[in-house]
Amino acid sequence: MGKNTRARSGHPARSPLAGYLLRRLGVSVLLLFGVTIVTFSLANLVPGNPIVAALGEGAASNPATVAAYIEKHGLDQPLPVQYVNYLANLFQGDMGVSLRTGQPVASDLAKAVPATIEVAIGAIIVSLAVGVALGALAAYRRGKLSDQLVRVISLIGLSIPTFWMALVSFNIFFLQLRIAPGSGRLSPVLSPPPTVTGLYTVDALLAGQWVTFMDAMAHLMLPVFVLSLFTIGLLTRFVRTSVLEVLDADYVRAGRAKGLSGPRMLFGYVLRGASLPILTIVGLAFGSLLSGTVLVEAVFAWPGLGSYAYNSATSLDLPGVMGVGLVVGLIYLVINFAVDLLYGVLDPRVRLA
Amino acid sequence: MRTKIRYVATALGLSASLALVGCAATASDGSGSDAPTSIVIDTAFTLETGDPGRNYVPTGYLVSKALYETLLDFDGSDESTPVPGLASYTQNDDATVFTFTLEEGRVFSDGAPITADDVVFSLNRVKGMTESKANFLMAGIEVVKVDDSTVELRTETPSLKLPALMTNPSLAILNSELVIANGGTTDNSDAAEEFLNSTSAGSGPYVLDSLDFESQVVLTENEEYNGPEDIDFTRVVIRSVSESATQKMNLEGGDSQVAVDLSGDQVAGLGDGVNVFSTPSAQTIFLLVNQNADVAGVTANPEFASAVRYALDYPALLELAGAGSEQATGVIPPSFLGALTDGVEQDLDAAKAALEASGYAGETITLEYPNDYPVGGVSFTPLAERVQSQLAAAGISVELAPAPFTTQIDEYVNGREAFSIWFWGPDYADSANFLPFSAGAKVGLRAGWTAEQAPSILELAAAAENATSMDEREGAFSAFAKALQEQGPFVPLIVPGSNIATADYISGVAYNSTWTMDIAELQAK
Repeated sequence: MGKNTRARSGHPARSPLAGYLLRRLGVSVLLLFGVTIVTFSLANLVPGNPIVAALGEGAASNPATVAAYIEKHGLDQPLPVQYVNYLANLFQGDMGVSLRTGQPVASDLAKAVPATIEVAIGAIIVSLAVGVALGALAAYRRGKLSDQLVRVISLIGLSIPTFWMALVSFNIFFLQLRIAPGSGRLSPVLSPPPTVTGLYTVDALLAGQWVTFMDAMAHLMLPVFVLSLFTIGLLTRFVRTSVLEVLDADYVRAGRAKGLSGPRMLFGYVLRGASLPILTIVGLAFGSLLSGTVLVEAVFAWPGLGSYAYNSATSLDLPGVMGVGLVVGLIYLVINFAVDLLYGVLDPRVRLA
Repeated sequence: MRTKIRYVATALGLSASLALVGCAATASDGSGSDAPTSIVIDTAFTLETGDPGRNYVPTGYLVSKALYETLLDFDGSDESTPVPGLASYTQNDDATVFTFTLEEGRVFSDGAPITADDVVFSLNRVKGMTESKANFLMAGIEVVKVDDSTVELRTETPSLKLPALMTNPSLAILNSELVIANGGTTDNSDAAEEFLNSTSAGSGPYVLDSLDFESQVVLTENEEYNGPEDIDFTRVVIRSVSESATQKMNLEGGDSQVAVDLSGDQVAGLGDGVNVFSTPSAQTIFLLVNQNADVAGVTANPEFASAVRYALDYPALLELAGAGSEQATGVIPPSFLGALTDGVEQDLDAAKAALEASGYAGETITLEYPNDYPVGGVSFTPLAERVQSQLAAAGISVELAPAPFTTQIDEYVNGREAFSIWFWGPDYADSANFLPFSAGAKVGLRAGWTAEQAPSILELAAAAENATSMDEREGAFSAFAKALQEQGPFVPLIVPGSNIATADYISGVAYNSTWTMDIAELQAK
């Protein structure tokens, strides 16, 4: 009745999916708004004088420079006014100027975010491939030696400090074995490819720069390896638990009783059944990879989001901190949204709900 | 069967990819049998701009020094006497008028001749841009064109520090026509920074190829350069590598040829194939003993500072600093005019007597310091712990209060710390940089030390500031440093070393307290 009435009155009927998307979009905007309030408040609560931190002692002792700095950055305004100004600029796509680099925060982040995305995607792909395989293997071989072995491996992956692992692996694979390149995203002899996506591997391919592509891939190896160790450990344990639960389910037992083979059983029923919790943990792991790779980025001189966040925070670069807060918030919102949509793809019951 | 073929093809593809990745990794090690024409320098970036007139940070100076020239220069590591750069100079007897005559025939990287107009514009630009961090360098200096190749710099009062100021890369001479055409002015309306972030407009041995504030700067040879440097490396990559352990491994592995930020311990562990240039830096790490009774209580008694001064075992503190470091003999570090030859020696009897005279009754004194900001490889936490234990042996009870640099510095500059560890480095290579330690001056006030508390120190500082001859100046600075050593509220501890490590085929490293090293002086043996 309702549907037909709206259609007759000239309002086109909205599909459930469109309504859902609109609601999510609205909630996301509100959440981002909340992120700006929290980040702005926290950034301004941190003890310390951003003017001294930004100008240095010599310039901070020069009243003319301090006055010009305060005026340029609107620091003479009350905090609520500064916040409103920030929001007003943000709506126009202006995230402010970094007090540390002197560059627009948006352009800084446009370089830092792709660098982190590139390494995070690599790590999540490797983690998924290895973690799911090991987790499923451990579940299938529950209680056996291979299960114990996998559990030890995952425990090691979760326990080893990432920073230490980064230093050790850089020493072994670069310095001792010479099978990995030095730090950074590219060898110093090469120039970055023309920017399209900011991902060096993709941009190099788009530009047809094969050598640059291979070099960028080579530089990705160690950071991806180190970052994936933790997520492999996490995924392995999670997949094992999820698969074990599904293995005990009636429909799986029935399938086995009907004589379904191992791989068909695994991919057709078991992993599909365990996919929702696995998807959740993959989403969270991907989010943490994007926002929390500070120490690994430091060791590999990887100019990504983690380094940018750390440097901004330690130099009291408030626009930089705000920018990172917004981007990280946005990343988590997008990931959560993508995970929710994939829920529906993987399980029609969720879609109906 | 088809499945098997697919597996085999996949395996072959993966193997080929890994082999190619391996090749790329091997090709990138930078080694080769021919004489290298490019080098890679790893350093922890402090880089905010490509505009020399706005720069005031170490990596910026390193870059500017290679791209631009200044009126005066220093010869290698000798920072005692400025030598001609783009110009030679004379001064009047009062040291208030300095006449600079430009070297003939010198050109910018676009071939345009360097004239007095370029000098006037460049210096007035820094003077007019009050929002520039380097603005204070031009305070009180008037720039006057005499003719096309002569410029006068005038000051109200004697200013023998002015020649040293003119070596600072922030006061580089820019191609005025080019900069003005791209938004350059001599006030805060200047809009040339963006242009200078992508293109250099100077006369140095190198030109800017690319600049990324977070990852690397690439310099290439200036084809028009006709100055004194004879460069060996036609391409220079300066990379941002914040972790010194990574810098060390990159150097050892051949991925870089120069590492700038290695600590004394790290250079001690370097093997064959690497040269290390170790020298005392220009930083002084010191203890501040606040003289303001409202802030500090018992430490405000000058005798307490004496007790601390004589209680410490300086050679034991120096053990924490590694290669190149020295005991600080005073607030002026060893390479500067007026530095004292001998530092304080431990004297526990004198410490005990001073402590008794101070009225100290066993109170616990809080020692504050930044715990995330090593200076010259010296971390303040182990230093503070050693100070704590040495003072405990002398009867002074100390508790440690570390905090992040950005939090701590606000307390320090506002004079709210009773007892703390800090450091001081020069903005330009001249002993005048250490006059702020005087009573009533910037650093003195941070220690609650007012002008009224030490009028004799003020006289010594004024004599050093206003000297009109170098002999007079050296004597005045020595007297100032000696007086501070005996009665000041500062206890200088360590001048940490600067350790620049290079591949063994590189020579010509000369440490400079402002621009770290002159890249153009690096040579392939």
